[in-house]
Amino acid sequence: MGCRARIVCVGNRLVAGDNAGPRVHDHLVRRRLPAGLEVVDGGLAGLNLLRLAEGARRLVFVDQVRGFAPPDAVVVLTREAALAGGGAAGFGHGGGLGYLLAALPAACEGPLPAVRVVGLEAPCTGAAVARAAALALAAAVPQARS
Amino acid sequence: MSRRKTLDIPLNRTEGDLELRVEVHDNIVVDAWSRGTMYRGFENMLLGRGALDGLVVTPRICGICTTTHLMAAAKALDAVAGVTPPDNARRLRNLALMTEHVQSDLRQALLMFMADFANPAHKGLALYDEAVARYAPLRGTSAVEAIRQTKKILEIIAVIGGQWPHASFMIPGGVTHRPGAVEILNCRMVLRRFRQWYEDQILGCSIERWREVASAADLEAWLDASEAHRDGDVGFFIRFAGAIGLDAVGAGHGTFLSFGSLDMPDATAVPGRGATLLPAGFAAGIEVQPFDGAAVAEHCGHSWFEGAAHPQHPFASQTVPYASGEEQDRYSWIKAPRYRERPAETGPLAEAVVAGDPLFRDLIAAAGPNALARQLARLVRPATLLPAMETWLDELAADDNGGHYQSVASMPDGEGAGLIEAARGALGHWVRIRDGRIAHYQIITPTSWNASPRDDAGVRGPWEEALIGCEVRDAGNPVELGYVVRSFDPCLVCSVHTLEGGRSRGRVRLGV
Repeated sequence: MGCRARIVCVGNRLVAGDNAGPRVHDHLVRRRLPAGLEVVDGGLAGLNLLRLAEGARRLVFVDQVRGFAPPDAVVVLTREAALAGGGAAGFGHGGGLGYLLAALPAACEGPLPAVRVVGLEAPCTGAAVARAAALALAAAVPQARS
Repeated sequence: MSRRKTLDIPLNRTEGDLELRVEVHDNIVVDAWSRGTMYRGFENMLLGRGALDGLVVTPRICGICTTTHLMAAAKALDAVAGVTPPDNARRLRNLALMTEHVQSDLRQALLMFMADFANPAHKGLALYDEAVARYAPLRGTSAVEAIRQTKKILEIIAVIGGQWPHASFMIPGGVTHRPGAVEILNCRMVLRRFRQWYEDQILGCSIERWREVASAADLEAWLDASEAHRDGDVGFFIRFAGAIGLDAVGAGHGTFLSFGSLDMPDATAVPGRGATLLPAGFAAGIEVQPFDGAAVAEHCGHSWFEGAAHPQHPFASQTVPYASGEEQDRYSWIKAPRYRERPAETGPLAEAVVAGDPLFRDLIAAAGPNALARQLARLVRPATLLPAMETWLDELAADDNGGHYQSVASMPDGEGAGLIEAARGALGHWVRIRDGRIAHYQIITPTSWNASPRDDAGVRGPWEEALIGCEVRDAGNPVELGYVVRSFDPCLVCSVHTLEGGRSRGRVRLGV
């Protein structure tokens, strides 16, 4: 767990409406990544992804979002902004990212990493996936951008 | 004239692909319809793929039961290949599955079911303030600790599987990864800490003391015996659930099904009566009959699927969506599985009844099935699983020559079934291999049993039936319906989960 930053891509690669995160994952792992960065296909692991929050200084989730931006846009949200919709009030079997984000401060052992959510609005075209990959990389390793 | 309105309650908390329609007369539910609103069709995704692809595809059906689907898929392929995994492979598979079970049991109980104890509907109750302090989402003491503890035990699956997430370590014939002595020791330490938390906070006593509770009278005496018993989460659950009458709702059909699970190693100190730690069987009341896999059939008369003239066994049935009309009759994207033409509930309570657990047999004999007993069975199932996990880890540490793989040179053509107990009950995968490819795949999940719509004879599914007679005190906050359904631990979601700017929740349609 000695990495400086971790990008966790969330979603089900087998379901067309939920595979944006895995597509960004596949886009990222095809390129040379900066040292100290891990890219993880988080699948549907939901609350179980808490383990990945520990030990990283920066944590970036990539997932499909709804209602944050125009169609096919990519947004970068803070944890607080991602939770602003209030969807994390209960625990869902889907292990929603909202609940995971809300649970982080209480459940994360050790220092809480800086968290960002890179969200893709449908339809998540190839261009949006590439944009999301670049934004995730920039959020995880800011110095890599320069 | 009937007037209908739609109310939102968080049946599935955030996902909203379960809908209930209930008909209420004088505040009492007189009829109910359970609708799965999402077509999934993973079976069709598998057709024509390579023989082993179910090992990769089916764990992605659900974000919680990944190991469970992997186990069912692997066992189905074991059957096709005609191979029996060696002792240590059975131990390792079982340990991963049991880890998923105990994690799920306690998350469901403390984060989902008991979260409703903090519902404002209970404000007048003497225990309400304490319930809020314990179970309010994301801040209740028990809720937060449950998140932390259930996060840690996952390390056992990561070690056994060799990676996390997507640990695809089960294959026909055994497992791909044999943990070393240090890794097993690490698992043992993780398990020891988890058991300590379970005994200290959840039970308020040792597992050995809890297992002395063998009747309703014993349960009452146990509760009175110690402040620690009353203050543990099990004790609090019994006190609160009793106070709100959960022992008087949610009866259902009184029929129970367990596919049996957790293959016993040939040489083990874990006590068991047969080939599996959790026995297979069907029970009407507490009368248990041997399980016959040929007696499972799927009805489609009220589902949005094409169906044959007669119910079909999963080796014969198909998953072909059919949603062109017949809205009056067809109302769910879930089929109606039946055992000997009867609906059956499945889950920890069914496992306990089929296994002859004296406490739950006594509770059922005395008062019939109900939401309290059903949820209690889930909350205390780890007391059965954790000691067996410890023993199997010890046996792995003592003997790393037990074998972890029985060679399967190539997958032959044939058919096989992988029938196990998932956290929520009976799970079956039925696969047929032809020319090295998947020619047929059918999956029946536990929620398909519990949330099934009416069958071809018009008989309600288990939780449709369990809702009948339930009082709805406040149509604006029908928390009682949530308790009944959630006591079955519904799991319909998991395949689509987007983070939403607004909330999306299950709906209950009340005809008032």
